[in-house]
Amino acid sequence: MNFSTSELMVVAGARELRDGEVAVVGLGIPLVAAALAQRTHAPNLKTLNELGVADPRPIELGVGNADARLWYGAAFFGSFVDVMGTFLHRGVVDVGFLGALEVDPFGNSNTTEIRNPDGSVRRFNGSGGANDMASNAKRTIIIARHEARKLVPVVSHLTSPGFLTGDRAREEAGLRGGGPSRILTDKAVLGFDPERRRMRVVSIHPGVTPEDLQASTGFELGIPADCPSTPAPTPEEIALIRELDPRRLYISGV
Amino acid sequence: MSKVKSLAEAAALVKDGDHLALSGFAISRNAVAFSHELIRQGRRDLTISQAIVGLDADILVGAGCVQRLIYGGGSLDRFGLVEQINRAYEQQRIMTESYSSLAVCFRYLAGALGVPFMPIKSLLGSEVLSRLWESGSVHEMDDPFTGERVLLLKALQPDYMVLQAQMADEEGNARVLGPLWDSKEAARAASAVIVVAEELVSTDIIREQPELTLVPGFRVAAVVPLKYGAHPTALYRCYDYDADHLKEYVARSREDFEGYLRDYVLGKSHEEYLERVGGAERLGQLTADPMLGY
Repeated sequence: MNFSTSELMVVAGARELRDGEVAVVGLGIPLVAAALAQRTHAPNLKTLNELGVADPRPIELGVGNADARLWYGAAFFGSFVDVMGTFLHRGVVDVGFLGALEVDPFGNSNTTEIRNPDGSVRRFNGSGGANDMASNAKRTIIIARHEARKLVPVVSHLTSPGFLTGDRAREEAGLRGGGPSRILTDKAVLGFDPERRRMRVVSIHPGVTPEDLQASTGFELGIPADCPSTPAPTPEEIALIRELDPRRLYISGV
Repeated sequence: MSKVKSLAEAAALVKDGDHLALSGFAISRNAVAFSHELIRQGRRDLTISQAIVGLDADILVGAGCVQRLIYGGGSLDRFGLVEQINRAYEQQRIMTESYSSLAVCFRYLAGALGVPFMPIKSLLGSEVLSRLWESGSVHEMDDPFTGERVLLLKALQPDYMVLQAQMADEEGNARVLGPLWDSKEAARAASAVIVVAEELVSTDIIREQPELTLVPGFRVAAVVPLKYGAHPTALYRCYDYDADHLKEYVARSREDFEGYLRDYVLGKSHEEYLERVGGAERLGQLTADPMLGY
């Protein structure tokens, strides 16, 4: 069975979501991963869109959270305060699914700006609801591209907290949510050491060598010799993904 | 009493230096026509606040109308970044207070309730917070009841909230369909609301389903009946976003923003703008399917 890296990431993301959970999902891989989970092992997974939508049943994909294609069939419309205040901040959201420009070894992420070598700054989207999810969800899953300039020792802007400086720093800062559980990249699934809260490898994607993985990471990963391979998608999962995203808007063939 | 005003009359209520909360979220329900009119009237030194900025804030910043931006982030979704805001930030041409979106909403909520501040459990430990200390709008303390660390956000009360709505009556009772993002809290926090309504209906229609009224008329300073006031962004159940025009905006925003303003905004009425973006034929293609809402 042929599959693309992004299809593998969708499947890995879907497997992180459990039946009966509530997840805030944004556009792209998280959205398709949640839809795949709902069609397979998690039919009772409920998704939230930060701008005020709960449990939609879209029949088309859209260009962003603000695209009404993603609101279709919803059980609930309200405000940002309703969804991100009375659900997320209230503490009943299990998973926040985030994208990031940069991630550091403690799972702190940046969606705000990149500092160029000449000292100038390139501005991107900012937090939006990302910091709220990272601060308040029971756990977060972060999607990032696996390059040495994306997985960096120190992020250019700590937009959304992971484990801050590690150990108990997150709790000491007063943060309630559980922090990042997984970082999904195009080369590996990453997790965190339960004590030090530093990033470690959970599995390496098929076709990626440990040397390549380390060379594509801006800090020491410490890859174990017996590191498992990320399980390949099943033919059924691939068929479902291609049905969910027939025009390959999110899930490229590469 | 009728509060119906023309777009120009309503925009003239806003004075240089005023604080406006805007209606949009990325590519949906933006107060685009109102922003165009403020640009034509040459408004300056505005403070703009918004949980997620969209084209309505971006074009005002690009046209030099904005001195300060209080926001939670934003983009034009897959069409691109908010180039005017991001360039102004990078070149430090405007003052910015950058929050999370929920933090902006909580500042509005405090303003709406008339309480001085709202505690939040977001932003702690982040660089979003460390860059806000100088703003004077945040304060960290321990909860006097439990000792838990909380962040306090100062209440925000804009002079006006510009609400792009699907429907309103002459008294200003305004109905918004679809998800509300920050519109509800922003409208209640503002000193007064300016409604731009796709459709002006009789008050009997509003009063048949008053649970759909986002803001009652006594909080509204003006209601502007205007077709396609959110174009090229979407208005749920009325029309879809105009992908072609959003692509043009993003492309020209990078290289030819002045030319874009000349072609579509400066010296053009809203009706002339609609003709220039393709007129009735193009706009008809954007009409929302009543079952789908887009």
